[in-house]
Amino acid sequence: MSQSQPKEIFVRLDRCLSCHSCELACAVEHSRSKSLHQAVAETPQPKRRVYVEALEANQSLPVLCRHCEEAPCLHACIAGAISRVQDVVITNPDKCIGCWTCVMVCPYGVIGRHLEEHKAYRCDRCPDRTVPACVTACPTKALVYGSVEEYSKGIRQTAASEMAAGKRS
Amino acid sequence: MTGPGKQYAIIGASAAGMAAAQAIAEKDPQGRILIFSEEPDPPYFRPLIPFLISGRKSAADMELQGAGPFQSPGLDLHLNSRVEDLEVKAQKVTVSGGKTFAYDKLLIATGSRPYIPTDIEGVDQEGVYALRTLKDARAMAKRIEQAKQAVLLGGGLLNLKAAFALLERGLKVTLVVQSAEVLSRLMEPEDSRLIREALIRTGLGIETGVRAIRIIGSGQGVRAVLLDDGRELAAEMVCIGKGVLPNVDFLDAQQIPLEEGVVVDRFTQSKAPNIYAAGDVAVTFNPVTGEKVMTALWTNAVEMGRCAGLNMAGRPTEYSGTFGILNATQVADQPFVSMGIVHTKGTDYETHIAASSKAYRKVVFSADGQRLVGLLLIGDISRAGLYRFIIRERMPVRSFKAHLINQTVHYGHLLKAKGPGLS
Repeated sequence: MSQSQPKEIFVRLDRCLSCHSCELACAVEHSRSKSLHQAVAETPQPKRRVYVEALEANQSLPVLCRHCEEAPCLHACIAGAISRVQDVVITNPDKCIGCWTCVMVCPYGVIGRHLEEHKAYRCDRCPDRTVPACVTACPTKALVYGSVEEYSKGIRQTAASEMAAGKRS
Repeated sequence: MTGPGKQYAIIGASAAGMAAAQAIAEKDPQGRILIFSEEPDPPYFRPLIPFLISGRKSAADMELQGAGPFQSPGLDLHLNSRVEDLEVKAQKVTVSGGKTFAYDKLLIATGSRPYIPTDIEGVDQEGVYALRTLKDARAMAKRIEQAKQAVLLGGGLLNLKAAFALLERGLKVTLVVQSAEVLSRLMEPEDSRLIREALIRTGLGIETGVRAIRIIGSGQGVRAVLLDDGRELAAEMVCIGKGVLPNVDFLDAQQIPLEEGVVVDRFTQSKAPNIYAAGDVAVTFNPVTGEKVMTALWTNAVEMGRCAGLNMAGRPTEYSGTFGILNATQVADQPFVSMGIVHTKGTDYETHIAASSKAYRKVVFSADGQRLVGLLLIGDISRAGLYRFIIRERMPVRSFKAHLINQTVHYGHLLKAKGPGLS
């Protein structure tokens, strides 16, 4: 059952140590060479689509496209460049005219601009991979890829085992 | 009243009408959706029509159905069908040619048409345009064949986009702007230095503080434009971009209350039974000021049209209103975003301005400094969407105000301020 459930990238707020590994892995995955050594020399410079934002002195938050159900960007686009393909909201660069309306309406602030190509970009959930690069790269598992069902089950199990081990009251 | 299998009639097949149709198709798959358009072309992305003039896109590239959110097949689309009569009691519309259609729910999404000032003589001549439809764009593209110079009346975004298209085609283009500066609806003259510089780099001629009083013609149509300071600008082509008027002429104000446009409630319904309105033709409200507002923006029209569609299909959905100003675009090499209240001169709004040689930022708060009410970004527009959200939700900004002023605000600040409910 859970195989057919749509998957998304969840963020565990208490886990991020602000190491920025997700950002690096994202940029490499979205480079032409897909290798760190070559990616750094590419022009245009490969861009990350996940942003680790500092919240407090010891708390950070990776922010990335939520692929919203009622996606404001998708409806706002004046060029018909944004559509939903298998649960993922994607920007078609051939149709994008670089008017930045999507940037203006995204409440998460996660749509970037390729200045060189004059196109908008955002998380595409790594179409060439089974698990998105940022999730694989995260050493603390602050990023989790799965269905809502799997994710909430995971939280319940973690809570139960921590309770059993006496970590929580 | 509403249920599956209703007959829906939508007048107008642009942003609002098509977004409504899409929403209805999603929520009431058994419903029959009739859409009437007076245009001969199948629905298209209207904001793209300047690209037909520049030659960057064909009409087929701009087709709406099958692109973006407009994925629903099976709409009963009637082109070349202008709705001429609406019988509110009998729930019927009559289209050009005399055919009559009954409806259970009706949406007025007739949009707007260009406003042509009455104090300019000679606007009827060949070569004078107002860019609104694909048909207009085709006519302008054709006129380029016999034109070397164009004069554009009005300094708004639409005319700027037309100007860039004409510049790309090699014409000499002059913008005649009555206000002190271009884009005066979206920013104050003091704000627009970077935009003005970017425009000048494109080679566009700009005449501010003057207006056209006569368009002078010859056998081949327009030949020149006479300004109120006595100068004559040679032009074989003129484009008027002076704002728009809602298309309400076919409506009987006795039956459907109008205040310029169609007055609707928070659920996009007019005062007449089973009749809704959305898009440029509708009078809606500004969530910040509570004022009534009419806009002519694609983005607003889609959002409101979708909301109307949900309501028509029996899913009561409150429209969140819109700011009078909500624009993003790129002017030459400068991106900009303008939203909410940006005209602050002579007001007591708390205004923070940061200007450099590359970017300009104006962040506007309410007089008491508690709420964000407006934003203008030129050069660096990153995170603009967060500002829109904060303005619209009227969030208290105290905990992250400095980040708003410095453009370092991020989603984490909102998450913390709003609590976990936002995620």
